[in-house]
Amino acid sequence: MRNKLSVLVIVLVAIAILAPQAPATARQQVEITLWHMEQPPHRVERVQTLIDEFNAANPDIVVKQEPQNWGEVYTKAPAAVAAGNAPELLFAIPDFTPILKDLGAVQPVEDFVAELDAMHAFYPAAVAQYTYDDHTWAVPLYNMAHSMWYRKSVFEEAGVEVPSTWDDWLAATETLTTGDQYGIGLPSSKSLYTDQTVYDLMVNAGADEIYNEDGSLRFNNPDTVAAYDMYNKLYVFSPPDSPNWTWGEAEACFANRSCASILQFTVITTYDTQAEGDAADLGVAPIPYREGVEDPGTISYVNAVMILTDDEAKVDAAKRFISFILEPENYGRFLNMEPGLFLPVTEDGSVAESFWNDPLVVKYKEQVEIMLDNSTSGRLFGFTGGNTFPSIAAISAQNIVAQTLQLVAIDGMSPEDAVAEGQQLMEEAVED
Amino acid sequence: MPNESLSNTLAPPRKRTRPEWWSINTVLGYAFVAPLMLWLALTILYPLIVSVRISTENIRYIGTSGDFVGLDNYSYVLESPRFRDALENSVVWVIGNAVAQTFLAFAAALILKQRFFGQKFARIWIILSWVVPTVVVVIIWRWLLSASGGIVNHSLVSLGIVSEPIGFFSTGDRAFASVILINSWRWFPFNAVILLAALQRIPQELYEAASVDGANALQKFVSITLPSLRPVLFVLGLVGTLLSFNVFDVIWLLTAGGPSNATTTLPVLIYETAFKQYRLSRAAAMSVITGVILLTFAALFIRFLSPPAEQDEG
Repeated sequence: MRNKLSVLVIVLVAIAILAPQAPATARQQVEITLWHMEQPPHRVERVQTLIDEFNAANPDIVVKQEPQNWGEVYTKAPAAVAAGNAPELLFAIPDFTPILKDLGAVQPVEDFVAELDAMHAFYPAAVAQYTYDDHTWAVPLYNMAHSMWYRKSVFEEAGVEVPSTWDDWLAATETLTTGDQYGIGLPSSKSLYTDQTVYDLMVNAGADEIYNEDGSLRFNNPDTVAAYDMYNKLYVFSPPDSPNWTWGEAEACFANRSCASILQFTVITTYDTQAEGDAADLGVAPIPYREGVEDPGTISYVNAVMILTDDEAKVDAAKRFISFILEPENYGRFLNMEPGLFLPVTEDGSVAESFWNDPLVVKYKEQVEIMLDNSTSGRLFGFTGGNTFPSIAAISAQNIVAQTLQLVAIDGMSPEDAVAEGQQLMEEAVED
Repeated sequence: MPNESLSNTLAPPRKRTRPEWWSINTVLGYAFVAPLMLWLALTILYPLIVSVRISTENIRYIGTSGDFVGLDNYSYVLESPRFRDALENSVVWVIGNAVAQTFLAFAAALILKQRFFGQKFARIWIILSWVVPTVVVVIIWRWLLSASGGIVNHSLVSLGIVSEPIGFFSTGDRAFASVILINSWRWFPFNAVILLAALQRIPQELYEAASVDGANALQKFVSITLPSLRPVLFVLGLVGTLLSFNVFDVIWLLTAGGPSNATTTLPVLIYETAFKQYRLSRAAAMSVITGVILLTFAALFIRFLSPPAEQDEG
């Protein structure tokens, strides 16, 4: 009896000693949450695969993902920050970052970006979109850039060369417009898509800068007016329902051959699954430019990830996860969560086997190479030339670039007057 | 005085009764409605109070704080041309929907009241557009009306009715008319079903007597049908107007308030102000003003158009 009692006491003492250690082990495991806006199931699945691999290789860290959508995150993230339950990692596009930065939630990451740059070599334009106010506010992850998409056979049948200048572009678009085909599909909705297509023309008119160095707006200038004027001329050859278009309608118009060409990030998936899928006939080219413009290009959105915690252990865990994603053997698989859309922002990523061996990328290799080439000359309104000011978030959120187009294309205002009113709208938007 | 003293003398001694408000039935009644009242206070009254408080501050982002600015937001909103335009659009929107839905609902209800083969199936089928989620309705209509491959434009061009596809959302007027018709298409079955139920309650004898008196169809409709439907039309008019005024999803998904703000009604403007312009307090001021407008409308509607109470048949 006494022996049994002794054993029981020893067991209880052992439990009492060891019991607190179990939670201690759990406490050492750092948990971080990732919010991203890549909601389609196949993208979520690919992100989860990478997270599972990372968690398995890093038993002291638990990463979990919580997919959000772009429509809600602009309100949800600031509310989460205010409530103290923000995620540790949050994906961003350039004009989303200033909102959270203004709330004091975003950690500067220039030192970490420099470390990663030494290993993977970021394209400078990618980092530039997140570098202002003496810091870098997010780590670039992937790029999306507009190109002009067309069918080679349609151009050949019409006897049209792929245009490189605006004069050729307008002539080609007119020629391509026939009874049941529109020469080009251009949106005029008050949407981000219209912002993007208008900015495509602004870049190629030499009007890519929205701000002066002192932060004042320079939207109202002759180059911007020229861009709107050209857009309006092309718009005549676009379907009449484009005032309520977003990306889907443009892709559908191209897929069903109603539009001979469109400006879009990619059409590869739609073309491959809902149209002919003939890789040899799918053309992609840089967006034509106005004669005399020295630095033509396109709009590009570098997507990045922000760190929203100042907890040392969590910051370290977040950095390790980001480093894992950018490793070439993982990075290509990450980008190919949507093959043919997401482009690398690092030099070693752009040659990574994991990127180029995806079946869809293999099939459309020629197109992806041109997209990648276009993306290196990409720019984004409000994030150019180092003249970046957080107030661009308000301009972008209200789609003022698109609103200005509506004044021209729908209300019939002259481009000069519309651009002047656009600048006024921007000034109202950025006032405190 | 003598009578009074007499009555005092003859009156039986008063029982010590509880006041009416303390009777078991009253207390029980309050006990039953208390949870609902509490729930309404939590879900309506509290947010309303918070909205009023926010409208007197200068908060930009949701979840952040601001300083007290008094009535600045109200004066800004009331002077804003965009607010006035949106209010005007809202009025046109409500009237347009009321006309279209009333016409469609009456037509459908009168047809469905007739006896014909497949009547029961038709009564169920008509509710379909109301049952389908808004997002689906919008996507269906967007594709139907598309100028590049939409069946409506394809049919119009094929039949030679138009020479080239119509942009149903390409101008402000067309977009407004299209959105009103799509919203009416979605909501008229609800009204039709309610009207149908009311129509079936009208005694057939009234119509037979009118026929004997030589009344034609229009006279029967004006003298029998409309007066009999007045209570139902009153409810539909009040609730339908308030619901129509607050519609956001159909407009936002179809046009996002465009083109050129032509379909921006007050709910759309409030959303844009709060979540696109990041002026939460200004949006709260708009909400409060909108609430006052709707409450005033409801009060006037009830005051002047309320049907007389039905006589107790017993």
